[in-house]
Amino acid sequence: MTLLEVRDLTVTYRQGGRDLPAVRGVDFTLDGGEILGVAGESGSGKSTMALSLLRLLPPGAQIGGEILFEGENLRTATWGRLRAVRWAQASMVFQGAMSALNPVRTIGQQICEPILLHDKVRERAARQRAAELLDSVGIPARRLNAYPHELSGGQRQRVMIAMALACRPNLIIADEPTTALDVMVQAQILELLNELVSGTNIGVIMISHDLSVLADMCSRLAVMYAGRLVEIGPADQLFTEPRHPYTLALSRAFPTIGDPVSRLAPAGLPGDPPALGTQTSGCAFAARCSQVLPDCLTRDITLWPGGPDREAACLRVLPEYADGDGPATDVPAASSAEAQATAERPATDEQPALEVRDLKVTYPSRRGRGPARAVDGVNLTVGAGEIVALIGESGCGKSTLARALVGLVKPTSGEVRYRGTALGYSSSALKRYRRHTQLVLQDPAGALNPRQNVFDLVAEGPRLHGLTDDLTARVRDALARAGLRPPEQFFGRFPHELSGGQQQRVVIAGALALEPSVIVADEPVASLDASVRGEILRLILNLRNELGLSALIVSHDLGLAWNIADRVAVMYLGRIVEVGTVEEVLLRPKHPYTRALLSVLPDAVGDQTPVLLTGEPPEPTAIAPGCRFHPRCPVAAALPADDPKLQLCRTRELPVLSGGGHASLVACHLATEQAAASVTGA
Amino acid sequence: MTAVEPVPAGPLPAAPPRFGAFRRFARGYLDRPAGIAGLAVLAAFAVLALLAPTFIGPQQLEVTKASGPLLAAPSGHYPLGTDETGRSVLALAIWGARSSLAIGIIATVLTVLLGSAIGLLAGHYQGRLGSALMHLTDWFIALPSLPLAISLSAVLGQGSTSITIAIAVTSWTSTARLVRAQTLAVEARPFIERAKALGAGNVQIMLRQVLPNVMPLILVSSTLTVASAILSEATLTFLGLGDPTNVSWGSMLNSAFAQGAVTAGAWWYLLTPGVAILIVVLGFTLTGRAVEHVLNPRMVNR
Repeated sequence: MTLLEVRDLTVTYRQGGRDLPAVRGVDFTLDGGEILGVAGESGSGKSTMALSLLRLLPPGAQIGGEILFEGENLRTATWGRLRAVRWAQASMVFQGAMSALNPVRTIGQQICEPILLHDKVRERAARQRAAELLDSVGIPARRLNAYPHELSGGQRQRVMIAMALACRPNLIIADEPTTALDVMVQAQILELLNELVSGTNIGVIMISHDLSVLADMCSRLAVMYAGRLVEIGPADQLFTEPRHPYTLALSRAFPTIGDPVSRLAPAGLPGDPPALGTQTSGCAFAARCSQVLPDCLTRDITLWPGGPDREAACLRVLPEYADGDGPATDVPAASSAEAQATAERPATDEQPALEVRDLKVTYPSRRGRGPARAVDGVNLTVGAGEIVALIGESGCGKSTLARALVGLVKPTSGEVRYRGTALGYSSSALKRYRRHTQLVLQDPAGALNPRQNVFDLVAEGPRLHGLTDDLTARVRDALARAGLRPPEQFFGRFPHELSGGQQQRVVIAGALALEPSVIVADEPVASLDASVRGEILRLILNLRNELGLSALIVSHDLGLAWNIADRVAVMYLGRIVEVGTVEEVLLRPKHPYTRALLSVLPDAVGDQTPVLLTGEPPEPTAIAPGCRFHPRCPVAAALPADDPKLQLCRTRELPVLSGGGHASLVACHLATEQAAASVTGA
Repeated sequence: MTAVEPVPAGPLPAAPPRFGAFRRFARGYLDRPAGIAGLAVLAAFAVLALLAPTFIGPQQLEVTKASGPLLAAPSGHYPLGTDETGRSVLALAIWGARSSLAIGIIATVLTVLLGSAIGLLAGHYQGRLGSALMHLTDWFIALPSLPLAISLSAVLGQGSTSITIAIAVTSWTSTARLVRAQTLAVEARPFIERAKALGAGNVQIMLRQVLPNVMPLILVSSTLTVASAILSEATLTFLGLGDPTNVSWGSMLNSAFAQGAVTAGAWWYLLTPGVAILIVVLGFTLTGRAVEHVLNPRMVNR
């Protein structure tokens, strides 16, 4: 039965006397019990589209078309009727659970609120229902009186889901429900959401920028670009055989680990998504498309049938344009050449560029908690011309380690060595060191001073170090190397006039202007759109290939390691638990934690049973004795209680991995092939 | 972008023009009628005060040389009447603008310099120095400002210098608090970390990264500080702490009050300096609000 039917939906914002079309002619239907995924980059109109379904947009937005929810047109419904529908029949799960929950009211009160409002029941009955709901999302009912700040990020998102289910709606709209969460918690939440709606008649619209998450979870997928649907169809088909080049790019942006095509060849799209209100005739994607036809620029593009139950807005699905096996088959020619260049890189046996010896960073205790051992004994080597990826969940100490490497955090003990000499912490020694090692931060919009133009931003480093002789040439060079061409055009522009990808290039150019030999990047692509991600990663890879830069890339994303790194180190709670070459660690993982991380990566094929770790990553203030991972370890949990190995896990601390050389090392009492077999069997 | 092409040789382009920000500011300011009105008022007063020596001479200002009727109501010859010694109130008011505006502006510059420096230091050095400076600020806030100003000018002696210093010493605290709060917010942003990683020291971070981001706030607060400084100047002179031979709006009010203008019904004598103060303060406030609106980062980009 059709639950929701959207016909020719348009949303237009009026701003400064101009009409900005955010959503242009979207059609789709949703059946009860179906999960529809909507994917797209920021600015593609996906959130606007979702909010417009319940008319939750700000007053300046004009909605056109028809929104038929259970046969009733919500676009023209009265406000009173709309209020009755909102939450009781159609509810939302918002992205930022911290800001979507009221910080001064308990979660119990907040879950009860819609129940009391819509179901007209007594307070006691509402609390009873709230307790059941909390229980069903995996939070003990006694936490009803907790305030939002007392819960972890994952728990808050669970509360949001409980709230969405409070009035037994028929439709749930989930707007990026897992975006701010860690991989492991994201997997838990998706699993929960799937569990709760499967077998019921609830229709779900799930919005995300990450196509692979959606492919894993949804039955049907829609891809949006510049306010239009560009492709819609069954999830697995759309993900594995995309018909639209944009879908192809999105599906390639997050690589499949083990796929040789994406190894050392991150896939990205050149250019940036068009700004609102700048659309011209023809296909909005043509400017970035790798296989554009002359007609793409002139002919009006709409969704055309592209196979059973599938539609795509690309000329190439039409029979008159089809050539051979149709669109979406190109392999970037550059990738193999780049991989070649990497393979031919001479094995360097000179001194490692950066070396960390038994590094510890401990923050003093605060408010009754013990001292936080953020980095608790780490050995790590970054060879000359090598890219090392440091992977871990949030709170594992990876960012602290990165800051210690560039000298922004002074270690409690241990040392950082640059080309064999230990780093001193006098201000002059640090200043000298900064010419060699540069930091690239996660959020480029925040990392650029909004009151400086691009020239000054890039010239900042050289000016601080007195390299002002040929400043203009230096800045121009750095910008060109970072891929901003022609560089002169960017000199006078301010950060807010640039796209996210360009901003990150400016940050990288600012680092390059000092001609460093090592770059430490803290989540360099986490806040960028999927299509831009590949371009920035390719830039880092090229810098290594052309300038011989070494790099340490901190990330939560194992796919990133597969994309660009030579070696990978997996960090858990202040220690590195597994380190080795990318192929060794990602294809033949030995540590149960690495296995778990790999297993929860969304994959559309679905041939892997995810190993879900229970709970949240623990705090560095309370590190378990023995192996620090054993409370969450699925392998240890499977052992019988009197197993001597389990005693080992619980009591004997593991040595710090020495990390030198290129051998694969793992810190686990149970890391044998036998244990490995038991994990895959489980 | 798979390969970096050699950058073509040739004449290097100059660094971008540096006045783009100012031009954008001017364009935004001209969109605000209230701001233009405020600026016009201020310009008029400034021109009058600067040109005053060309048309007001000693014969109009010195008690012994004044020739008009005593405490006369406004008439054709004396548009705003005369004072108790026969001087033209209009001439006095124009002349008085000189010292009122001068003291107000100089006191403001001192206030803003002191307050910004202390706020910036307290925000940047969040350890001992920061808390010591904030304790000092709290201490000054707790002091009642009028008695402090009175005792200060009593110690420093009568005159405009002591009044200026007294105003600066008692009013820097709010600027310091404001600047410290903004500095803390700016210091938490990632570009400060980027600057540190590039090798910037404390001074460079404060002057090159934090100050440009705090500057709009300082500008706004200084236009509002001028208004209160002019009021304080009038208050202190009215209380008799100014130079008795110097004419200012405060001293006009003082002598009007002392010579019984109230009982004599000489409203023109009391009202003229009062209204002048009102208009100038309003001018500065309107200007300040307009500057605030234009420089507010949430409105500047669109």
